[in-house]
Amino acid sequence: MTKLILVRLSTSLLVILGSLVLVFIIIYLLPGDPVLQMLDPNTATPEDIANLRHQLGLDKSFVSQFLTYANQMLHGDFGKSILNSEPVLPKIIKHFPDTLALTLASSLISAAVGIFLGVLSAIHRNSWIDIVTRIVGLFGISMPSFWSGILLILIFSVHFGWFPAMGSDGWKTLVLPAFTLGIVGSGFIVRMVRNSMLEVINEQFILTLRSKGLSERLVMYRHALRNALIPAITMIGVLVGELMAGAVVIETVFSRQGIGRIVSDALMAKDLPVVQGVVFFSAIIYVLVNLLVDLSYSVIDPRVRRAH
Amino acid sequence: MNKKMRLWNKLTLISLALILVLTACASNTKKEEASKAPPASVAPSPSEKAEEPEEAAKGGELTYALATSPDLLDPHVSRVAVSVRVLRTIYDSLVVQDADGSIKPWLATEWELAPDSKSYTFKLRKDVKFHDGTPFNAEAVKYNFDRILDPTTKAANAAALIRPYVSSDIIDEFTIKLNLATPSADFLGNLSQALVGIVSPTAAKKFGDQFGRNPVGSGPFKFVKWDDNAQINVERNPDYNWGPSNVDNKSAANLDTISFKIIPEEATRLGSVQSNQVQAAESIPPQNILSLKKEDKLQLLQVNTNGLPYTLFINQRKKPWNELKARQALQYGIDVTTIVQTLYLGTYEQAWSPISPGLLGYDKSLENGIKLDIDKANSLLDEIGWVKGKDGLREKDGKKLTLHYVDSSPNREKRNDIAAIVQQQLKKIGITVEVEITKDVLNSVFVKDGYDIFGNSQTNSDPNALFAFYHSLVKIVGGGNIPGVLDPELDDLLNKGAVEQDNTKRVEIYKQAQQLIINKAYIIPIYVFPYTVAASKTVTGLKFDALGYPLFNDVSITK
Repeated sequence: MTKLILVRLSTSLLVILGSLVLVFIIIYLLPGDPVLQMLDPNTATPEDIANLRHQLGLDKSFVSQFLTYANQMLHGDFGKSILNSEPVLPKIIKHFPDTLALTLASSLISAAVGIFLGVLSAIHRNSWIDIVTRIVGLFGISMPSFWSGILLILIFSVHFGWFPAMGSDGWKTLVLPAFTLGIVGSGFIVRMVRNSMLEVINEQFILTLRSKGLSERLVMYRHALRNALIPAITMIGVLVGELMAGAVVIETVFSRQGIGRIVSDALMAKDLPVVQGVVFFSAIIYVLVNLLVDLSYSVIDPRVRRAH
Repeated sequence: MNKKMRLWNKLTLISLALILVLTACASNTKKEEASKAPPASVAPSPSEKAEEPEEAAKGGELTYALATSPDLLDPHVSRVAVSVRVLRTIYDSLVVQDADGSIKPWLATEWELAPDSKSYTFKLRKDVKFHDGTPFNAEAVKYNFDRILDPTTKAANAAALIRPYVSSDIIDEFTIKLNLATPSADFLGNLSQALVGIVSPTAAKKFGDQFGRNPVGSGPFKFVKWDDNAQINVERNPDYNWGPSNVDNKSAANLDTISFKIIPEEATRLGSVQSNQVQAAESIPPQNILSLKKEDKLQLLQVNTNGLPYTLFINQRKKPWNELKARQALQYGIDVTTIVQTLYLGTYEQAWSPISPGLLGYDKSLENGIKLDIDKANSLLDEIGWVKGKDGLREKDGKKLTLHYVDSSPNREKRNDIAAIVQQQLKKIGITVEVEITKDVLNSVFVKDGYDIFGNSQTNSDPNALFAFYHSLVKIVGGGNIPGVLDPELDDLLNKGAVEQDNTKRVEIYKQAQQLIINKAYIIPIYVFPYTVAASKTVTGLKFDALGYPLFNDVSITK
């Protein structure tokens, strides 16, 4: 068990370092000049441009720029926004809870709806329930989230007036965006749970349990589902990343605060320190979530624990 | 079978419970809202403009949805127009521009232009205080102007607006002389812009580069807080008593607070005002304007913005567009009327001149002048040797006639669709159009001169705006003179217009300039941009200034 944690921790660290390098290279290679973006085309002179470039350290070599950057980032100094000189890390930390709330709420919805429908359609394989559920799942996956978001606004905000269309204060403003994102996630989980349930159901031990006279419900929910959950949980780990990326769109559609919003605004304005900061921060979160997912296997499935 | 039934029963129960909870929520909120509402007694009739401002309903919170987020609330440094909507509530200016274009007193009570036209002496109001208690006086004005000039402030547009300003002399506590390097006819008018708003010197010094997040002015509203990407709140300045001539209510505002919500997604912004989550929302897309007009709970307010309309600038530095006939062929080959009708469904006005109809000297005679004429366009191109090949495309010396069309806004006001339609229309006269949409304007467009047509617009209060776009002297790194015009006759008119103090003569000068620009086919004007607000009918008194920005001094909310 300790060995497992140690191995996982060190690979996580490597991934984080790798993402640090990757983020820097991508942004370095991005076309367009942030300096020209920051200055007013009507008044800037070549000297202004050179001065600002020097001030930002953009006239130094690639390697020296990277070393300065990596050194600062690893010391927790994510730099300042080019646009309004606001320090980046406090800004991210201030807005992360909003994104976290959205991600958690939509993961819960994805998991609850996905597992429930997945089991349902596996149990009733090839019946109309199965067909409807699979169509619904496919629908959830294929709908672009900005579109389903606007649809939910039109129905539940404009027409019924039940939930606010925008904002990020209080649980009520969380409902529509969490469902919008949750629908996408549940689509994936339905398929995953259905497939693994079907595999498990056909295994020998289920037959044994049935023949021992256990009630069908106990067999399905206590034994089959438990075994079918492992791939679903892996899926949830991947989904958290998916959902955090989805937050970029959803936070804009529902005018919520959050780090997705910060990064999309920063991209528009080519505010590179902010973009780098948010991407690196998200990478860390993603790695942590997957670490937790990996470790949770051993809790759910004793075979994983014994293997290490 | 039994199991299935049980499951179904459960499902039905769960969904029933869910519906019950949801409806309970909904009816609860309605009750809350109803109980919160104060007794409707002081409401004036919503349709009439408040003739007696005393009767306007006092109090209330206005929520106003903005389409994008302001960058900073420092008027001198802000780079985006959306900031001005908020800046106007926090800051006052020295002078104000009335609807007819004339300049009236505001923080300055009167002014005098020196005989050599190179300095203005302003008398200032003596009763004005900034929100932080700092008194407004000549010293504060001097601080503001010097702050704009100071390179460390990184003033963007404000510096361009006060350009000939060099220094100021404090005559006495409430008299100041502003010195100009050269005479300037639009200097006084530019002082009316929110970007030259007067900031509190105490606060500006205290907050330094964070002033834009902690704005302090002397306006009708005080800054309260700014939640990133969510909202900006301002509250009534109870001491306010120096409102400008373009509002009725010169004293403290009727509203307690204004909450500017930032809602970038069009459909959400619209949904928020339809569901009454916000009371007013800006930038309503044309396709929704028509349907909104039918909603009985909403009103639509629309005002044309001023400055340079959205215009296609033809690059004179590129062949064959340096030839008049080639440019005229574009003028006759592009059906602007159809473009504007199709895309904006009659909600936007077509532009005919390089300046908007609301500006001083606008030449109405240009309207309905140049119309689509495919035959003429074809023969003009034939005349200069670009003949149609077998594929219907024109060529000369083995080279195809292509036009590189660049626009910098990701489909703001359907500008990308304009490009697509132009592409189709010009195919008919044998021109291949390559469309490029890029935000990286300075580098890929101006520095590399990589465009034949570039689409752009600008908000401005004076026809001198033409100078920066058409004068041959304007050669700042990228930008300026987009059409690359080198025309001594036009230079001469723009020079004269920039310094002429007699308005009748100025009007004449600018009419000539507009005719020249159209006759020489330097540009193709497309549309005049209307600022459009959808508001609940309970909102009254929302006005717009000469540039088309909203004014909240007279706003009140009726029940």
